[in-house]
Amino acid sequence: MREQDREAYLEKYEQQKKKGYFLFLFQLLKYFPGDLEVVGVIVLPVMALTFLIFLPYLDKSPWRHWSARPVISTITIAMLAGATFLTAQSLLEEAPPGSVTEAGDRTAALYISNCAGCHGSKIDVRPDTDLFSVVSAGTHEGMPPWNADLSADEIDALIGFILAPRGSEVFAGSCSQCHAAEQLIEADAIELRNALETGSAYPPHVEFNLAEWSDTLTAAEQGQLLNFLTAPDGQRLWDQQCSSCHGRAVAFDGSASELRDVVVQGGGHLDMPAFGQTLSESDIQTLARYVLDPSAPGGDLFAQNCSACHASTIPTAASLPEAVDAIARGGAHENMPVWGDILTDEQIAALVAYVEQAAEGGDLASGGELFAQNCSSCHGDLGEGGVNPARAGDIIAPISTAEYLRTRDDRTLQAIISQGQPNFGMSPFADSFGGPLKDDQVNAIVAFMRAWEENPPVELPPDVPSSPQPTASGEEVYGELCSQCHGPNGEGGIGTSFADPQWQARNQDSAVFDAINLGHEATAMIAWGEILTLGQIDQIVTHIRTLDSSAPPPAPDATPTFEADVLPIFQASCTACHGTLGGWTGTSYTDALTSGANGPTIVPGSPDSSRLVQSLIGTHPTGMVMPPSGALSAADIQTIIDWVAGGAPEK
Amino acid sequence: MSSKIGDWVNERSGWRNHYAAIFLRKIPKINWLYTLGSATLFTMTLQFATGILLTLYYVPEPTQAHASVDYITNELTFGWLIRGLHHWGSSAMVLLVILHMVRVIAYGAYKYPREATWFSGVALLLLTFSFGFTGYLLPWDQRAYWATVVGTRIGEVTPFVGGSLKSVMLGGEEISGLTLTRFYGAHVWILPAVLLVLVGIHMYLVIRNGITAVPKRNE
Repeated sequence: MREQDREAYLEKYEQQKKKGYFLFLFQLLKYFPGDLEVVGVIVLPVMALTFLIFLPYLDKSPWRHWSARPVISTITIAMLAGATFLTAQSLLEEAPPGSVTEAGDRTAALYISNCAGCHGSKIDVRPDTDLFSVVSAGTHEGMPPWNADLSADEIDALIGFILAPRGSEVFAGSCSQCHAAEQLIEADAIELRNALETGSAYPPHVEFNLAEWSDTLTAAEQGQLLNFLTAPDGQRLWDQQCSSCHGRAVAFDGSASELRDVVVQGGGHLDMPAFGQTLSESDIQTLARYVLDPSAPGGDLFAQNCSACHASTIPTAASLPEAVDAIARGGAHENMPVWGDILTDEQIAALVAYVEQAAEGGDLASGGELFAQNCSSCHGDLGEGGVNPARAGDIIAPISTAEYLRTRDDRTLQAIISQGQPNFGMSPFADSFGGPLKDDQVNAIVAFMRAWEENPPVELPPDVPSSPQPTASGEEVYGELCSQCHGPNGEGGIGTSFADPQWQARNQDSAVFDAINLGHEATAMIAWGEILTLGQIDQIVTHIRTLDSSAPPPAPDATPTFEADVLPIFQASCTACHGTLGGWTGTSYTDALTSGANGPTIVPGSPDSSRLVQSLIGTHPTGMVMPPSGALSAADIQTIIDWVAGGAPEK
Repeated sequence: MSSKIGDWVNERSGWRNHYAAIFLRKIPKINWLYTLGSATLFTMTLQFATGILLTLYYVPEPTQAHASVDYITNELTFGWLIRGLHHWGSSAMVLLVILHMVRVIAYGAYKYPREATWFSGVALLLLTFSFGFTGYLLPWDQRAYWATVVGTRIGEVTPFVGGSLKSVMLGGEEISGLTLTRFYGAHVWILPAVLLVLVGIHMYLVIRNGITAVPKRNE
């Protein structure tokens, strides 16, 4: 076979996407979603198989010609026709929408290369599906997570395409020459609507000779286009359009239809009270100045009176009198856009559903109470963690750091609280898993924890300088890095206390070395072996040993001297006898070195051979330990030993 | 000369009797549809031959499976042909088996005394599907992987035993290297062994009972 033939053959080979003879089975499954799945997967195939196996006994007729066995023939033909129909159906759905690919619709191309292989040319989505999380995280039902392969914008574009395929076509035909779909996805819905309605008069479009979209596109097409660009995904709509004023969620306990009205009508549902009746003249002046210039005092007043509605967004005013007037008289605010004019019906429905869902999250206060009752005994009042009561020797890492919260979405936190983490000794808390909390209570705790993210009570992990100097000594490295968690003197904090004598006794040098080198997976202790040299880690271990609070203070650099260090000890403990009673005399430097019944009591430079030291530590073969009332303190003995070892200087 | 050798062998093995029983047996007047069974048998032989050749280069190990398939397809001399034959052969096999079965149903050929032939045939049909399913994972690409995820998850829906069925198929909770070796082992050892036994039985019964004539309207 020639090379071209081989190429052509391989191409065709690659086109064969799925096993053709399984297609009908997959197609069959599409008609039995959810709980009905078992019908498509088990009931029908088992029925077909049973029919086949027992065919010789189902068909008792002595005739063999097909026309003499109408029932069997009909069933067989029906089964064959069914399988053929399903296969054909599947192949038809498989075919990518050719027109859109020809028009250079990039989103459609994205869809075809990533989704069409399994889903065919379109996907029917149930109304309350959170498509973004389905696409990005995949499902248990065999859908892979796409977040590694596709960017968030691409996923958003895909969602728009899936929910409004016609919109994608319109976009490809009318907009895609200048705009990439992914760019407009994050656009302001108000601007989009504006551009659509004003057409060529829309300022950025003025210099181009554009059609009047409101005339050339039907209402349905306009809706589809908007749905494509700002997919009916409540969470994203909220983030884009609502969160700047309303924050993460609004408390709402009315019905869905009321909420829908509020959203659709927008406008004057915000009644600002007339603060002239409740605040003093000077307070209003202060507030007005604060509004004009947020650096002026008045933040406290604003927080007390205004932030419940305005959150941290400070309203603007043109002049002081206008601000004073607005505050004093209050009144209806037309701040909220009339979303009914801007969003499509699908978008509003998705938004209403999202707001309701978010409102179920519960308020922060109840979340805080629940946290205090259920969580703080292990995680600390502020989620700072601590000793794990369920597993000896284990430390619970902080859960309230910005880093922890940023890397876990609400659903993950909810799952952790609901199902517990049995491996780490955390029991499940949701009643569906045998715990004490209802689902909305779990949500409240999640909301409470989420509130930490902006202003985390615990700062972790410590900033790691990118390259500690390889020449820095262990002590310097400790001061720079370790002390951030363990305290400058090893007094502890987020990390273990090194001053604790029990800790010092319990851990051998090798264990401390390993902990520094390899880190500790249950805590924020990272593996420093990748950053520090082994020599540095060794030095740090040595340094940590000096932090033991029960250890003697490090010896002063200078050798102790007789006058400054030793004589006071002698005077306190020895000279009562060894000054006047003969034998060795310790009252002066010369006496101390020269007196004594049996040769020198002190051999400078050699503590071991000095009778003095032998008597103090009890190693002399005949004499008793001096002084007779009990040995000197270890520190004093050490001072004397050091003095002798250092040559017994006078001063 | 050849007849002399034939005689010599026949004297010592009696092969001519068996040859006559298999190839020279009397058959009724039939049509081309009766060749579907033989066609299936031929395709099966082809699958065996190409499959054995593929095992010479295929490595059932997660990090190398796809690379080895890639090597077979793109670099190995005539590898693309062998793999292509095996790939298309599997589809052909399923198609032929189903057509063969439809022919048997249409002619009522499963009736007494050929029920046992029919039962072994149904088992062979399931076996053929199993070959397709286990073989599909072996290229170890995205498509194979997710098709197996979907396939095993479908098995999981089975009432009562679904969970265990899935773990047995996957060798754990997730698709892993264990799944690959499991599917490979099933595809090249277990299923072929069972297939050979069943095909033997099926063929024996076909020869023993003879084949049915095309039924007439009043028959």
